[in-house]
Amino acid sequence: MTDSQWPRFEVFLQDREGHSHRNVGTVHASDSELALQNARDVFVRRPSCQSLWVVPATAIYALTKQEIRENAGLSADDSEQQPKNADLDVKSYLVFQKRNQRRTMSYVEYVGRVDAATPGQAMAGAITAFDDPSSTVWWVCPASVVARSTVDDVESMFTPATEKAYRMPQHYRIIQQMLEAKSRLLGKADIEQDA
Amino acid sequence: MDDLNKETHTAIAHYLTALADDELVLAHRDSEWTGHAPILEEDIAFSNIAQDEMGHALLWYNQLSGLTGLDPDRLVFFREASEFRNVQMVELPKGDWAFTILRQYLFDAYELVQLKWLERSPLPILADPAAKIRREEIYHFRHTGAWTQRLGMGTGESNRRMQRALDELWPFAGQLFSRNESTWPLVIAGTIPDPVDQWSEWQTLVVPFLTGSGLKLPGEINSIAAERTHHTDHLSDLLLDLQEVARSDPEASW
Amino acid sequence: MSETNQPETGNLQEFEARIKRGEKVEPGDWMPDTYRQQLIRMISQHAHSEIVGMLPEGAWITRAPTLQRKLVLIAKVQDEAGHGQYLYHAAETLGISRETMLDALLSGQAKYASVFNYPTLSWADIGVIGWLVDGAAIKNQTMLAQCSYGPYSRAMVRISAEEGFHMKQGKEMVIRYAQGTSKQKAQVQDAINRWWWPTLMMFGLPDAVSKHSDTLKRWGIKTRSNDTLRQEFVNEMVADLNTLGLSIPDPDLRYDQEMENWIHGPIDWDEFWRVVNGAGPCNAERLATRRKAHEEGQWVREAVAAYAHKHPPGSHDD
Repeated sequence: MTDSQWPRFEVFLQDREGHSHRNVGTVHASDSELALQNARDVFVRRPSCQSLWVVPATAIYALTKQEIRENAGLSADDSEQQPKNADLDVKSYLVFQKRNQRRTMSYVEYVGRVDAATPGQAMAGAITAFDDPSSTVWWVCPASVVARSTVDDVESMFTPATEKAYRMPQHYRIIQQMLEAKSRLLGKADIEQDA
Repeated sequence: MDDLNKETHTAIAHYLTALADDELVLAHRDSEWTGHAPILEEDIAFSNIAQDEMGHALLWYNQLSGLTGLDPDRLVFFREASEFRNVQMVELPKGDWAFTILRQYLFDAYELVQLKWLERSPLPILADPAAKIRREEIYHFRHTGAWTQRLGMGTGESNRRMQRALDELWPFAGQLFSRNESTWPLVIAGTIPDPVDQWSEWQTLVVPFLTGSGLKLPGEINSIAAERTHHTDHLSDLLLDLQEVARSDPEASW
Repeated sequence: MSETNQPETGNLQEFEARIKRGEKVEPGDWMPDTYRQQLIRMISQHAHSEIVGMLPEGAWITRAPTLQRKLVLIAKVQDEAGHGQYLYHAAETLGISRETMLDALLSGQAKYASVFNYPTLSWADIGVIGWLVDGAAIKNQTMLAQCSYGPYSRAMVRISAEEGFHMKQGKEMVIRYAQGTSKQKAQVQDAINRWWWPTLMMFGLPDAVSKHSDTLKRWGIKTRSNDTLRQEFVNEMVADLNTLGLSIPDPDLRYDQEMENWIHGPIDWDEFWRVVNGAGPCNAERLATRRKAHEEGQWVREAVAAYAHKHPPGSHDD
């Protein structure tokens, strides 16, 4: 076994009930259990989080609007740029999209599912089904490769981050402290002057 | 708390000190890995465990402070080694990654068993912090359990290192479950668990898991018999480091 | 993945027009090779800086003089690891592996912010680093959050949100120690004397000397000049330091009434180059520490990988 930094898993975070999962980055891990734990430690240091998903990076088929335009002849069977995990039974694929150019810390968000037999077909289906004109990036991955945190995990995985106030800037009162220092040191200077 | 007799008051103070000192010393050892862990993600993960344990120490010292009026920072930075009540297991040097993971795993299991009981203690001074601490320990146990499995069953080398760590640590586990003269009245009063009961619960939890992770347990559980105030030389070395800055300017506010 | 397999039909004009419109360039989009290479270099150096930066402060965690300061310092250093993680990820999206980047760092080939090649000599250094070094970093980060490359921009937005408490906790310490015991006052002044100039050097070479500036600006990578950021920083720091009775180790520092700027004295760029090129006080030690951690971690990484190989997904175990 040669030394490596382990494979990458894309991480999707849901901050609140009812909000969609959004891609926040990746973690390096050897398996999905470690990936879920690493995702929690890397991305849930600040509140809030309700749920985490992790997906092996190699299972995601990603295309930008520009790539789609330039591969105008993109066929559902185009297998060169696709993940190598295609088998021929129809299965459920998760679809993620980037929909705006706002400055943000997360990337694509979960928008729904399509059924398909190959990643190429899933992508073609996603582009048709989720054709919001503001979409610029599409990701698809088989639902079966997604590892998820559970409702029971919330208390031990996500709640503790909310209790570490010292990580939040509003915990520090430096403006007040500078004002106090100013009056203390200026007060002294006045006394010294009068002496 | 005002109507406690002196013996009970001392017993609770000793128990709280033991809880706090265990967390503090373990947190210290854990924090020695920050910047040196085997992979970046684990540096982040293990620093979280160190922070959690440090936070637990602070919680217990605050409870102790409520009872005795003693300032937590004064207790941490100005006591001598012989006044600390942590078990020897947590003061041992951090060793290699296998040693650190296994020690954390064994201690996390002990905490879970103990906190489950303490959450229901009739004494609020013990029960109140227990729920919050237990939430975080559930995650620690999940983490160190996963690592124990992976290192126990990974490669020949990782298994050897884990076995060596287990052989070194097992004799120290017994001290976690020794009955203690000064806190025995609390067991009788039903306010803290009987360590002997906790020992069998702990073994039920860890033994099958360790065996299932490819490790062999020593035939005879031959534990060190020591009062919590008896320490190895490692504690005084640790305190030299821990207390260095605070003691360099004792009147300073930091 | 599609980012390394793109067709060479990219259009430079369209690329620059997108950037001008404020649109992000994402993995898979066409980009000039120079853009890709510049970003790989910049982002990986930034990542290395975070990782190496854990060491000067990390060394004081065990000696932090109160429980609260201990907690805060562990959290800060943990964040730095996290920031390194986000940045390595951003570089990975451009087609370089973390193994390659780490090899470059550990072999001494890759550069990182030279400010971390100075030693932390007292606890007071921790406060000063938080206020000055993180304060300077925040200026840079705020600018980079607008970067045209999506993954880098997003990493910087996340980092900026987390960096807030880093500067504040340091400033809080300096405010306290500047009014503390005579030993504390002396230590914090000594720390300022040692960290002031390395912090100013963090903003990079003077605009007149700095190359690549125009291209970096047009491609939305670097939108504000080194000197502008450095001047802003100096203006913010001088008043506060004076209020606290702390002096700045710059005999040439003077106030320009007309422009309302504090003009600093000459920076020793010879020292800057010496330290960047490996002759700083701690370069060797920093790399040796990182190398040791990496080498000692090899059996761990291999064991975890071996376990995963033996227990593929779908096999029935925990």
